[in-house]
Amino acid sequence: MTMRCAWVVLVFGAALSAQQWPTYNGDYSGRRFSPLTEINASNIDRLAVAWFYRIAGVGPQRGVGNPTIKSTPLMANGVLYFTIPDHAWAVDARTGEEIWQYSWRDQGGHLVGNRGLGIYGQWLYFMTPDCWFVSLNAKDGKERWRKKVADEKQQYFCTMSPLVVKNEVLVGVGGDAMDVPGFLESRDPETGDLKWRWNTTPRKGEPGAETWPNPQAMEHGGGMTWMPGTYDPELNLIYWGTGNPNPVFAGQGRKGANLWTASIVALNADTGKLVWYHQPSPHDTHDWDNVETPVLFDAEFNGRPRKLLAQAARNGIFTLLDRTTGESLVTKGFVGVNWMKGVDAKGQPIPDPANEPKVDGSLINTPGGGGTNWPPPSFDPETGLFYVNAKEGYSIGYLTDDDPEPQGYGGTGGGGFSEPVLLAIDYRTGNIAWKHKYPSGGFGNAFPGVLTTAGKLLFTGDPSGNLIAYDPGDGRILWRFHIGQMVSNGPSTYMLNGQQYLIAAAGDTLFAFHILGKK
Amino acid sequence: MGVLSQASAQEDSPPATGRGGRGGNLREFLGLGAPPDAAAAARGEKLYTANCAFCHGEKGRGAEGPNLVRSTVVLHDEKGERIGPVISKGVLEKGMPAFSSFAEGQIYDLAQYLHLQVELVANRGLYKRLNVVTGDPKAGEAYFGANCAGCHSATGDLSHIGARYPADQLQNRFVWPGGGGRARKVTVTLPSGQAVSGTLKQIDDFNVSLYDASGEYRSWSRDAVKVEIEDRLEGHRQLLEKYTNQDMHNVTAYLVSLK
Repeated sequence: MTMRCAWVVLVFGAALSAQQWPTYNGDYSGRRFSPLTEINASNIDRLAVAWFYRIAGVGPQRGVGNPTIKSTPLMANGVLYFTIPDHAWAVDARTGEEIWQYSWRDQGGHLVGNRGLGIYGQWLYFMTPDCWFVSLNAKDGKERWRKKVADEKQQYFCTMSPLVVKNEVLVGVGGDAMDVPGFLESRDPETGDLKWRWNTTPRKGEPGAETWPNPQAMEHGGGMTWMPGTYDPELNLIYWGTGNPNPVFAGQGRKGANLWTASIVALNADTGKLVWYHQPSPHDTHDWDNVETPVLFDAEFNGRPRKLLAQAARNGIFTLLDRTTGESLVTKGFVGVNWMKGVDAKGQPIPDPANEPKVDGSLINTPGGGGTNWPPPSFDPETGLFYVNAKEGYSIGYLTDDDPEPQGYGGTGGGGFSEPVLLAIDYRTGNIAWKHKYPSGGFGNAFPGVLTTAGKLLFTGDPSGNLIAYDPGDGRILWRFHIGQMVSNGPSTYMLNGQQYLIAAAGDTLFAFHILGKK
Repeated sequence: MGVLSQASAQEDSPPATGRGGRGGNLREFLGLGAPPDAAAAARGEKLYTANCAFCHGEKGRGAEGPNLVRSTVVLHDEKGERIGPVISKGVLEKGMPAFSSFAEGQIYDLAQYLHLQVELVANRGLYKRLNVVTGDPKAGEAYFGANCAGCHSATGDLSHIGARYPADQLQNRFVWPGGGGRARKVTVTLPSGQAVSGTLKQIDDFNVSLYDASGEYRSWSRDAVKVEIEDRLEGHRQLLEKYTNQDMHNVTAYLVSLK
C-alpha cells in the first residue's frame, strides 16, 4: 500500500517524493536533483560509509568480464532494487543486507550493461540481454511472467530500465550490429502485453520516409531506444532520445536525414503518436546515439517562464528546447563539433560531409565515442546549471565498407585522444560556466553520472576511483572518498528513518554513505 | 594498436583489450554462436557464386532477390537446418525456384558461406581499414619539414618508418602517438624545496605517486607539493588543431614512402 502511495507522489518537479528514489532518474524529470538537505555543504566532512554490498557468486560475465553495476538502484519502502545484466537484487536500504537475488540464464544478447528496474505497486520490471521483458514480485524476487520483446539472433539486445508512466511500462531496445529497426513499446503492467509501439524509422509511405532513399534502408535503419526517457504529466508527453542510424559509420546507402534516428522525440503517452521531433544528428555517421537523458525543467528563458528540455548529447551538442512545441532555443557545442558546419532553420546541426568517415580517414575534434555518453547528467534549479561528465579530444573516422549497400557498422571511429572533464553548462546559452579537468585517466564509454542536491552539493566520480562532492556553484571540491574504482553508475539519494543516504556503485560494489554521529 | 581501434559500440564498448576486446572475444560478446567453418564457407562460396549470386547479389546483400545477410532464416540457422529447406523447396510464390539437387554437404557449405558473410558484417572486430594512402607524398614532406622536423627526422628516429607499420596504423600513430602504457616524467617539489623526479604512476586531484630514479614508489598529498608533468606530446596536440584531412593524408603518404 505504501508503495502505491509512493507511486502517486512520483510526479514531476516540486511534488517529487524526495524520501524515495522510485525510477531510474529518481523522478520523471530526469534532473537528478534531490531536494534533500540533511547532507549538505556544512556537514559533508562527516559523510562516511554506512555499508557496502559486494556482488558475490556471479563471476565474469560473457564478453565483459567482472560484474559492473551501471544501474541506478530504485529505493522504495526501505528496499534498494538494482541490477547487472542477467541479475537483479533487493537489499535493505538501511543496512545493505541482501533480501533476494533473481538470476536469468544467459541465452544471448549483449551483456554490456543494465540500467535497472521499473516498479509499479508490488511489481518490478526487468529487461534481459536477450530482450525478455520480465516481471518480478518486489517482495521475494519471484518471476511473475516473461514476454519476448525482440530477437537477439538479429543482434537486438536490451539494457534499459523500464519506465512506468500512468498505466503502462515503456520498454526500448538496443542493437546496431546487424541493421535492425528500432522501436519503443508500451506494455501492460499487469500482463506484459503490447499496448502500442512507436517505430523510430518510418515504414513505406509514412511521414519521414522522404528522409530515406528506399524502404529497405529505413526498415534496416537502426535508431535504438536503449535509455529510459522522461515524462511531463501535465502535457501528457513522454520524451525519448533515439540512437544512431544504421549502418553506423557508412551513410552512403541511406542518404537523407534518416528520421527519426539520432533525435529527441515527444510522444503522446496514451497512444505513442509522435507530437514533435528535433534531430541533433541528422544523417549521423559517427555512432552518436542521441539517447542521453532529455532533462525537463521549468525556468526563465529570454525573460519569460518556459517549460524546457535540455540534453547534452554524444555528438557534443547541448540542446535546449521548448518541450511543449519542440521549438529550438539553444544549439551549442560543449566540446569540439567540427563534424557539423552550421545550424539549419529548425536549430538542428548540419553535418559536414567533408568530415564524415572516409576510406582514408577523417579527423574530427570530437573524441571517439562522442563528447559524452549514457551516464546521467544533472540539472540543478538552484544554480541554473546543467552538469555533465564529458570528453574533449580528437578522433579519426574510417569507412571500412565502401559497398554502395554497406551493412553493420561499416566503419570505425577512435584513435586520437580523449580527456575527461566535468562541465557546468548555463542552460540559457550553452556556455560553459565552469569546467573541472580531471588530472588523468580516461572515461571510455562508461563513466560516472552526476547528482545534485539542495544541500548545495554535486556528486560524481573521477577516472581515478574517487567519489567527489563539488560546490555546484563554482566547482570547488568539498569532499571525496576513494571508492576503489571508477564510479560506474549515477549516484542517488534518499531519506530513511530520518537519515539521508547517498548511494554510488563502483564496479561490483554498491556503497551507501551517511552523516556520521547523527544516530 | 591492433587491427583497428575498438569501434565504439551502440552504447558502451566492451573493453578495448582483454575479454570482449576484438576478434574472437568480440564475437563472444556479440553472442554470435559457433564461428563459421572456413573450409566449408570456401566451398560454399563457389556454389553460391554459381547458383545464388545472380538473384541475391555477389555477397548475399540482395539484388533482385532479398538480402540474405539480414535474413532471419539465416540468422537463426546453425548448420543449414533452416536454410536447407528454403533452398531445396524454393519460395515459389516469390519467384525463387527449388534447388533440389544439392547434397546435404553442399547445403551445409552454402550455409557456412552465408554465416561467414554475417560474421564479416556483425563482428566489427574483424573490420579492416582500406587504402589510406591517398595523399601527395611531396606535399607531406613539405608539411613534415615545416611542422614535425623540429622533433623528428626522416633519417633518424623515423627512418624506415614506412616499413615498420601498416599504413593505416602509421596514420593513427602520428596523429596521436599516445597510448595506455605511455610513461610520463613528473617532478614533485616538496615544501622544503627538494625536487623528486621520476615516472608518474598515478595522479588525481588529491594525490600524486611516482617511481623515482632508484625504482622506489613514493606518494604525496597534492595540497603539500607542486607537480610538473612533462608533456612530450604537446607538439602533436597543437597539430591536431591545425591538420586538415588533406594534410593528414599527405603526411601519411610521405611517411609510408620512408621504407
